[in-house]
Amino acid sequence: MTLLELDGVSVHYGRIQALRDISFTVNEGEVVALIGANGAGKTTTMRTISGLLNCSEGKITFAGQDITKMKAHIRVVHGISQAPEGRGIFPGMTVMENLDMGTFGRKDRSGVAKDLERVFDLFPRLKEREKQYGGTMSGGEQQMLAIGRALMSNPKLLLLDEPSMGLAPQFIRQIFKIIKEINNQGTTVLMVEQNANQALAGAHRAFVLETGEITHSGTGKQLLEDPSIKEAYLGVG
Amino acid sequence: MSMTDGPTPMQTVAAEQAAEDREASLKAAGRSDHRQPGKRRFGNLSDRWQALSRQQQWGFLVIVVVLAYLLPLINPPIITTEPGNNFALACFDMARFALIAVGLNVVVGYAGLLDLGYVAFFAVGSYCAAMLTSPDSPYLHIPYLWTLPVAMAVTMFFGVMLGVPTLRLRGDYLAIVTLGFGEIVRILATIIPAMKGQVGFQNVGHPPGTAVDGTPIFSNSNGVPWYWLTLTIIIIVTLLVGNLERSRVGRAWIAIREDEDAAEIMGVPTFKYKVWAFAIGAAIGGLSGALFAGQVGFVNNQKFDVTTSILFLAAVVLGGAGNKVGAILGGALVSYIPLRFTAIAEYKYLIFGVALVLIMIFRSQGLLPARQRLLAYGRTAMNQITSRNGKEPTDKDNPSAGPGARAVRQKGAEA
Ligand SMILES: Nc1ncnc2c1ncn2[C@@H]1O[C@H](COP(=O)(O)OP(=O)(O)OP(=O)(O)O)[C@@H](O)[C@H]1O
Ligand SMILES: [Mg+2]
Repeated sequence: MTLLELDGVSVHYGRIQALRDISFTVNEGEVVALIGANGAGKTTTMRTISGLLNCSEGKITFAGQDITKMKAHIRVVHGISQAPEGRGIFPGMTVMENLDMGTFGRKDRSGVAKDLERVFDLFPRLKEREKQYGGTMSGGEQQMLAIGRALMSNPKLLLLDEPSMGLAPQFIRQIFKIIKEINNQGTTVLMVEQNANQALAGAHRAFVLETGEITHSGTGKQLLEDPSIKEAYLGVG
Repeated sequence: MSMTDGPTPMQTVAAEQAAEDREASLKAAGRSDHRQPGKRRFGNLSDRWQALSRQQQWGFLVIVVVLAYLLPLINPPIITTEPGNNFALACFDMARFALIAVGLNVVVGYAGLLDLGYVAFFAVGSYCAAMLTSPDSPYLHIPYLWTLPVAMAVTMFFGVMLGVPTLRLRGDYLAIVTLGFGEIVRILATIIPAMKGQVGFQNVGHPPGTAVDGTPIFSNSNGVPWYWLTLTIIIIVTLLVGNLERSRVGRAWIAIREDEDAAEIMGVPTFKYKVWAFAIGAAIGGLSGALFAGQVGFVNNQKFDVTTSILFLAAVVLGGAGNKVGAILGGALVSYIPLRFTAIAEYKYLIFGVALVLIMIFRSQGLLPARQRLLAYGRTAMNQITSRNGKEPTDKDNPSAGPGARAVRQKGAEA
């Protein structure tokens, strides 16, 4: 079943067009990867889906509902949650307070405890650092916090913008494993990644974005084997 | 590291290092603002304060409040502003500034909105009181005390009017627009005939009541009753603001201040809460303006310039943006210093300028750094979670879980 659908979406920053007529879908239960070079428009796509940017053309449908005009803070309530690029945690709040902020839009207080347990199971480190300030956490810990915080709203769709950014190789593998685990628990994931190899390996389907347009799409496996993608993104020619 | 390991990330020093390097470069891009409590001098005060029992805290507060009320009567030597300035009037002026700082602190300190035109709200409040009570005003007259809520409502309206179009702007733009607004109000007071420019309004009203000798209790020359009235209002406003701060609204403000986009995608209606901060701040500024108009008894267009706005802002930053007690202290100090040291009063802008630079260098969070306990609202929920987790075998070694969690966390939050 289609969970998210972008239909002919264009986004402008002033007069600069960052996305041109983007269309794709994310089905329930999938992990979908969005790869592309720097400046291709990946973050723009994510921020458009979470509602931080407005599209100038096109339509976004989520769970059968047109959300094109919906404000970002309402999209959270409907089940879209984003761990932003560069983490975007609250530096002056403790880990626990950050996680607590993740529940801000929730209507069901009763589910909070369960989700906190889930987050602590996925990221035991967060539990150990419960009282540490977000801003003093290491980069990797902040990434966990950003993902954990996004999960605290119990989303249907989790948007991850470069979850592996700036992480050491061992930890990148861990993060992908955790993403898989999150997905197994029933959350649909749309992730942006520079780490094309691992992203494609871990994703059911993927899209390649080049200067604001989708140029390739297919299953993770198909794209991994596509020669032009190999050359451009996978570091083998 | 094998893929079958449990999720126990970040084991290696190298990983941490790489991540930290990346983080450092992110910070250089200039977003993170670490609001950590100061560890020196006053920071310890806050620790000690938290260590006191609830009764001790209340006892201490009662003593402070009683002393504050008695201040103009005691007129302590050395501290007094006499002979240069009447001490009771000085006390009122300090209280007035403190109230302004409490209001501006909601805007600047909590929500992180740089408002350089706060004096405009103060002016609107003053004009409200003047135009509704002064015999020079041809309009409807109401008893003075009624002008206080009216002034609040009117300034709140102005706050929303200014906020709705401008709060979609960020940072620098907002500062410039508010700066402009401050000037617009002052200029309107000059050019609109009904506001009587420099001539102004004489004999602004005051609260009722006459002393035994038939003179009004709230006379212009007697600062004591005005001070008591203002102090009482400060206490009420501070309690209300404190409640807001610990509520969902407060958490939303802090989140906006820390990272507006992140707040929005957490489900915080950022625009709405920013307008609220603006409106509440405006109302408190207006209240202070109405008190000022009543005490001085005269309002014209002379007192509402940009430098006054900056002085208000200095009070908040000096005291510690985001800390209401700090704001009271900062406001009182900014008023007190030129009154006490009349010889240097002329140089007050220079002195506050230097003081601010020094504060920024040595104590960038202000005299009393902000550290809200943000979980107050969700605390019950979080306590449930932590105590629930405490029952699980894996968490036995975690001292923060279980019934003591709240106390531990509270302490941790201040540490
Ligand atoms: N606020 C902005 N104002 C103007 N142009 C912008 C803005 N944000 C992004 N852009 C432009 O839009 C294009 C897409 O940017 P985007 O951040 O989406 O890229 P990206 O694919 O996420 O890149 P990266 O891999 O480097 O994160 C770029 O050309 C960028 O310069
Ligand atoms: Mg990006």
